Amino acid sequence: MLSSILLSEDPLSPPWQRYGLAVLGCGAVAAVLWPFSSQLDLPNTVMCFLLAVVVVALRAGRGPAVLASVLSVALFDFLFVPPRFSFEVSHAPHVFTFVVMLAVSLIVGQLTAGLRAQARDAARRERVARGLYGLARELAGAMGVEQVDESVARFLQEQWNAPCCLLLPTAEERLQAVGGRGGAVPVVDAGLLLQARDAQRPLALLADDGSGCHCHVLPLAGTTRNRGVLVVTLPGDDGIGPLLEALSALVSTAVERLHFVEVAQAAQLEAVSERLRSSILSALSHDVRTPLTALYGLADSLVVGPPPLPDEARDVAGAIRDQALRVNGMVGNLLDMARLQTGPVCLRKEWQPVEEVVGASLKLLGGALEGHPVRVLGLAALPLLEFDAVLIERVFCNLLENAAKYSPPGAPIILSADVGPLMVELRVSSGGGGFPPDKLQKVFELFERGQAETTVVGMGIGLAICRAIIEVHGGTIRAFNPPEGGGCVAFCLPRGTPPPVEPEALPADGEGA
Amino acid sequence: MKGATILLIEDERQIRRFVRSALEKEGLRVSEAETRREGLVEAGRCQPELVILDLGLPDGDGVGFVDDFRAWSVAPVLVLSARSTEYDKIGVLDAGADDYLTKPFSVGELLARVRALLRRGRARPGTEAARVSFGDVEVDFSLRQVLRRGEAVRLTPLEYRLLAVLVANAGKVMTHRQLLHEVWGQATGDNSHYLRIYVGHLRHKLEDDPAQPRHFLTETGVGYRFHL
Repeated sequence: MLSSILLSEDPLSPPWQRYGLAVLGCGAVAAVLWPFSSQLDLPNTVMCFLLAVVVVALRAGRGPAVLASVLSVALFDFLFVPPRFSFEVSHAPHVFTFVVMLAVSLIVGQLTAGLRAQARDAARRERVARGLYGLARELAGAMGVEQVDESVARFLQEQWNAPCCLLLPTAEERLQAVGGRGGAVPVVDAGLLLQARDAQRPLALLADDGSGCHCHVLPLAGTTRNRGVLVVTLPGDDGIGPLLEALSALVSTAVERLHFVEVAQAAQLEAVSERLRSSILSALSHDVRTPLTALYGLADSLVVGPPPLPDEARDVAGAIRDQALRVNGMVGNLLDMARLQTGPVCLRKEWQPVEEVVGASLKLLGGALEGHPVRVLGLAALPLLEFDAVLIERVFCNLLENAAKYSPPGAPIILSADVGPLMVELRVSSGGGGFPPDKLQKVFELFERGQAETTVVGMGIGLAICRAIIEVHGGTIRAFNPPEGGGCVAFCLPRGTPPPVEPEALPADGEGA
Repeated sequence: MKGATILLIEDERQIRRFVRSALEKEGLRVSEAETRREGLVEAGRCQPELVILDLGLPDGDGVGFVDDFRAWSVAPVLVLSARSTEYDKIGVLDAGADDYLTKPFSVGELLARVRALLRRGRARPGTEAARVSFGDVEVDFSLRQVLRRGEAVRLTPLEYRLLAVLVANAGKVMTHRQLLHEVWGQATGDNSHYLRIYVGHLRHKLEDDPAQPRHFLTETGVGYRFHL
């Protein structure tokens, strides 16, 4: 019975109950002893009152223990010490007894209450520690931030009956309550929250609803940056700092772990989808090109013979071959467009001279430019640029092919360049009518053609590919009609910082080549 | 060139058909294989003077074939590739293939490449001519002298070395990596822009129109080919 009183963990009752207990305890002792007052001698009675003080101190704390001490002495004097029913003292040593009794009961009461408070405190600490331990275990296994939020809320509810709210940044860097429980805490200014997130120490604010509660804003520190804040509303803020810090450390670890899991999953997903995309496109490309290669090659072997075919049959075979080549070009354009439009493009950028790519494009086009003299102006003096040669070759091929297609036979095609402070502009201009003035922007859109009713074959995909390629290189592309006539497409590529090139000295004369 | 045996490894029957007929009309013997494994067995059996290898074989990549084939033969390998396999070509060329043709290709292009490679394959190593001329340029390797229209052209040591490597491998596609390795040595992996700059120098010194070269040809994304 005594041990159960000592170890019981009831939270302290309200003051009136505790003081009531002091009065009641002393009264009860007096009532019980009263019938036996003739048999009991005074020291035993004193002992019983002291016991009452100890019990009151255990159950009700310091204040009630003082009250019980005073009451005990008073009751003892009033009821048990002759003359009864009077505070008068007939026998002088009794005064000494009262003083000692009061002193002993006060000291014992205070010691007991202190011990009790310590035990209670230790028990509470242990409960919090156990709670934190359980929380840590729960957080370690949490699969999402909602679960983290739930666990923390339950922990704070159980420990301090304190509402809390976990706020994490959204994609737009705005702090948002997880699980939509933003209403659980007093409204705190969003700017203040962001400031608190980036602070190193927790921030304690007095809640503005007049409840006297403290709003603790705990930054969740991550290894690379602070991840968000945990807002906890508590009635007071004494001695709770270290606990809150432990709590915020646990929560930040969990949030950061989840963040990195998410990042890793996203990267993996992207890699898988990228692999899938590129393997689908490769398979498609292979499957379409294989029959086209056979068609083109078979028709070509009919054309070149031997044996020589009749003229008409040879023309037909030649037409089949040319059409197969054209279909191949279109398939190539469509596949390129699909590759460029359906996701991140893997660029193989290297520092290289533009002149080289221009030369390769001119050679690749070969016959398609027949009848159009090509003039290349000022490309040799350009600085090195960083680009994916295969893609930029595609841009030049498309632009040169367009220039040849849409300009009258014999009109020259001019390739020129201008070096700006940040960009290098490359231009392909041709003779002819130029672009329709109202379509200078639209020609770069997919399936858009400059001249709608034209006999020139094409799908309106070439310039769209050019734009996609230039844009992934961080450049811009535009079409315009220069005042001297004709049309021109100009695109810019960023200059960047080329790698250093150490010039090599020519050998002195007479040392051979 | 007549009578040489050519091994054609290609899984598409119609492509094999026209390639075979084109080669046979040239008087070449053709043996065929459909897969990489069959190709290796057939190569061992017929000892081809040239292998034409499709990159899109169902049972594995061309690099594996070239690796295995190069273990015992120096016969040239011509690779057939689709444009989407732009970067697979580099791997197979680095592994030891000699040239590539992008699908679709014409009979004329195919025969030109085959002839060039057979010529290369038959030249005995170590018997390269000391004097080479192309366009209006004459190179005399014994005198370390380069003449253009009869006048001496001054080249830096690296330019001269690059020229020598390119000329020695005329007709063959040299990848960026191979050229960097041969001219600069191995330690220059990140300096591939030097290669492009030096090729540019050679073009400006030896070509009529550097922007439209006729001898120092660019294989975009892959490397260079010197054309005599």
